[in-house]
Amino acid sequence: MKKPMMKRALYFSGAIAFMGLSSAVVAVDGESVIQEKCLLCHTQTGNPETPYSRISEQRKTPEGWQMTINRMQRLNGLVISSDEERAVIKYLSDTQGLAPSESAPHRYVLEQKPNVVENVDPAYAEMCARCHSNARFGLQRRTEDEWKLHVNTHMAINPTTELHALARDRSWYDIAYNDVAPKLATDYAFNDPAWKKWQQMSKPKLAGSWSVAGFIAGKGNYSATLNITKVSKDNFSLVMTGHYADGSPLKGSGQAKVFSGYEWRASLTLDGVKMRQVMAASEDGTTLTGRMYQAAHDEIGGELNAMNGKAIVALSPSAIKQGGQQEITIIGSGLKGDISLGKDVQVVKVLSRDADRVVVLAKASTRASVGLRDVAVGGTKANAQLAVYDSIATIQVTPNESIARIGGNGGKLAKVQSTYRALAFSAGSDGKPGTEDDMRLGYMPAQWSLLPFDEVADHENDLKYAGTIDGNGIFTPGDAGLNPERKFSTNNVGNLKVIAQVADGDNKVEGEAHLLVTVPTFIKRAIQ
Amino acid sequence: MKHLKSFNKKAKMLDRTTSPDEVEDVVAMQSVVGCTSTNDPGWEVDPFGGLGSLCQPMESDLYGCADACWWPAQVPDTISQYPDWSQDVSKANEDWRKLDGIFPEEQK
Repeated sequence: MKKPMMKRALYFSGAIAFMGLSSAVVAVDGESVIQEKCLLCHTQTGNPETPYSRISEQRKTPEGWQMTINRMQRLNGLVISSDEERAVIKYLSDTQGLAPSESAPHRYVLEQKPNVVENVDPAYAEMCARCHSNARFGLQRRTEDEWKLHVNTHMAINPTTELHALARDRSWYDIAYNDVAPKLATDYAFNDPAWKKWQQMSKPKLAGSWSVAGFIAGKGNYSATLNITKVSKDNFSLVMTGHYADGSPLKGSGQAKVFSGYEWRASLTLDGVKMRQVMAASEDGTTLTGRMYQAAHDEIGGELNAMNGKAIVALSPSAIKQGGQQEITIIGSGLKGDISLGKDVQVVKVLSRDADRVVVLAKASTRASVGLRDVAVGGTKANAQLAVYDSIATIQVTPNESIARIGGNGGKLAKVQSTYRALAFSAGSDGKPGTEDDMRLGYMPAQWSLLPFDEVADHENDLKYAGTIDGNGIFTPGDAGLNPERKFSTNNVGNLKVIAQVADGDNKVEGEAHLLVTVPTFIKRAIQ
Repeated sequence: MKHLKSFNKKAKMLDRTTSPDEVEDVVAMQSVVGCTSTNDPGWEVDPFGGLGSLCQPMESDLYGCADACWWPAQVPDTISQYPDWSQDVSKANEDWRKLDGIFPEEQK
C-alpha cells in the first residue's frame, strides 16, 4: 500500500477547492489531464462510449468529482496541481454530470444547508446513510458493476464496516453486493435518459441583471441586484448591490463558474465577509435558486432567489393583520407603475421606490377577508402573495430538529452554530390550527430562549453549559474540551429546546424546536 | 416484559423509545445530514435521540473510535485513511487541542 500524503497537504485540497477561482482563464485541458494523470492506473477500454475504465461509468456533481480526486490524492498517490484538478472537475462535470432533474432532490447538501432531516429508504438507511448522507450517493449515477465495485471500495477502505451495529447481525457484504448495489443501479442509473436529454438542450444564458431576494442569518432579509458579466465560456464576474431589510446597504463582488450547464458556484466578498453561492439555473434560464453562506462558517447563510426580466421576487414581510398598518417591501425588477396589494389592502404611502425595490406603508381594512392577495406593480405580478390574517395560530421553529457542535477553546475545530427562524401560520377559514387550510404567513421576528429538553437535560444542567442563543435566533454552543465542573468531566454538550415567542397584538404565540449540542465532527467533505 | 421494571437511567430511556412519537423523534434526529445513525453507542446522537448513552467526555474514548474506523465519516480512521492523524497526541483527553480536523482550509 502506498503511503498516504502528509496530512497538512491534504487540507489544502479541501472540500470546495474548485471554487477557488482565479481571474485567469484556466488553460489546462481536463481530458488531457485525465490521460496524463489518471491513466497511470486506469486503462483505456477501446470503447468510445466508455473510454476510461471505471471513470467513464460514473456521473457526479462537481463536488462529487472533487471528492473522488481528493480520495485519489489521499489513498492512491495521485499528484495533481490545483489548476489541473479544476480542469478535470470541470471536464467531468460537463461530460459526466447530473441533469437538473437528477440533482434536484438533494440540492440541500450541495448548498451546505444545515440541519436537513433526510427521509431515507430503509434499504439505504441501514446500509449507506448510517455513516453519511443519502445525498452523497443520491447525487451519483453508476452502472451496476460500478456500484458493486463501490461496495468493494468501502470494504477496502473501511474494513470494520461489517462489524458496526446494523451490519454485524446479518450478512452485510452479501446484502450490500447482491441486493443494494443492483437497487442503486436502478434508482440511480448511469443511463438515465435525463442526462442525454439535458446534454442536447440549449443551456441557460446567465449574463445580465438579476433581481435577488434572500436571507442571511443575523442580517435578515435582503434585496439586491445581481449583475453577471461573462468573462469566458462558463466563467463570470459578478457584482451584487442592494439593501438589508433595515435599509442598510449590501455590496459585494466576486467570480463564478458554471458546471454542467446550470450549476452556479460563486466566490464573493460581501460587505467584507467571504461568501459562497451555490445555485441552480432553471432550464429556461429565468431563475437562479440556491443558498449563499459564509465561506468560513457554512451554517451561517440562507436562501437566495434570483429572477431575470420583469418580476416580483418576494415580499418582506409577506403578511398583514386585519386592521393593521405596516411597511412592506416589494422586491423585484422593472417595478414601474401603480402598486396593488389586493382587495381591502391599501397603499397608504410609498416610502421609497426604484426599479427593483419598492417600500410602501400598507393598511389592511378591519373588514378585509382572511386570505391571500395577488400583488402587482404596473403590469408585473408577484411570484409571492400577501396573506391577510386575523391572528397567528401557530409558530413553527425551523429547523425543527437541529444540532450544534462544541468547538473553539484553543482547539483546532471551530464551534458550529445553529440558526433558527419563526414561521407563522394562521388557522385558516375553519378556525382550527393544524389543518390543511392553515395559511402560511411567513417568517416573523421572535424573542428567543432555551429550555432543557427533558428531565435528564435538566438534571445534568445542560442549560448552564451547552451554549446561548441571541436575539437573531443564532445559537452559539459551548467550548470544546473536558469540563471538570460536570460529572465525569463531560463535554459542554446538551439536549435543549429552542423557544420562539412571537407577538400578535397583545398575545404571545410560542413555538419550539429540538437542539442537540453535541461533539465536533473531525471530517468535513464537500458532500457530507 | 410487562413484569419487568426499568432499573437504571438507560433502561428507562429504552422503555420510553417504545412510544411511537419518541421513535419518530429519535429517527429524525439521527437523520440530520452529517450525523451518523450507527448507534453503538453513537457519535453525535445516542440510540434514544439524546446524549445520555454516548461516551463522555468524548476525548476519553476517541481513539477507540479512530483506531477501529467506527465513525469513518466523522472521525478520521487510523486503519487506512489517516494513519498519522493522532500520532503526536498520545492522550486525547489531555492534549485534545492538538487534534486537527480534515477540513477545507478556509473553515479551520
